[in-house]
Amino acid sequence: MDLLRRFALGEIDAFETVVRQFQGDIYSWIVRIVRDPGVAEDLTVETLWRIYRARHSFRPDGNFVAWARRVATNLAIDHLRHKRPEQSLLSEPAGPAMPDQLVQRETREKIQQAFRGLPAKLQVAATLALVEERPYDEIADALGTSAGAVKLRVFRAVRILRKRLKQLGVRP
Amino acid sequence: MTEHDDRQIREALKQSFPPVNTELRRDLWPAMLRKFDARPARVPWYDWVLIGLSVSVFLFFPQLILVFAYHL
Repeated sequence: MDLLRRFALGEIDAFETVVRQFQGDIYSWIVRIVRDPGVAEDLTVETLWRIYRARHSFRPDGNFVAWARRVATNLAIDHLRHKRPEQSLLSEPAGPAMPDQLVQRETREKIQQAFRGLPAKLQVAATLALVEERPYDEIADALGTSAGAVKLRVFRAVRILRKRLKQLGVRP
Repeated sequence: MTEHDDRQIREALKQSFPPVNTELRRDLWPAMLRKFDARPARVPWYDWVLIGLSVSVFLFFPQLILVFAYHL
């Protein structure tokens, strides 16, 4: 019997193999969205746990990676919704900075601040499409929607971001 | 919004969010096992209903306790 069929039947050995085989893919997907390795590891474990609990609803002839990414993306969206706004997504180098660097850093911080203010679903679509440059079809699969809907979300994200940056006095 | 504007925003975002290391640094199976251990066994709701019904029956008909004990 193949691995995913045994996993769907609840065999713990099969689940261990599934974890070892797919944990890297799930982690790399989540870390692209949340951009924090520690959080991404926690969310990967939670994703695998939810996958295990929902194993009965998985069709062994289905696409496991697509299913796992969908669960992972939903968890990442929940995380972004509840994340405290003051959390920084970028670690800055220590030490004194030159005036130009200060301006650049300030600009980056304002862009991050504006970006974090976007609704979580728009944030995820924009991160994957614009920062990570993932194909729209792949993003659509993970979000459980169509490529057209993803393009619309990215368009809306950019429009809101542009407006907020203007309010913050930043011109990208 | 023009294509030029779109490209500007894309570049600004890429500069503000530097690439992340997408390699997993450790095996997560041990963490998974800890999660299994941490989950207390849950009693389903229908078991609670059954327990409640049994207690109610024994309260109203205490003589049934003897019948029940005999059949155990």
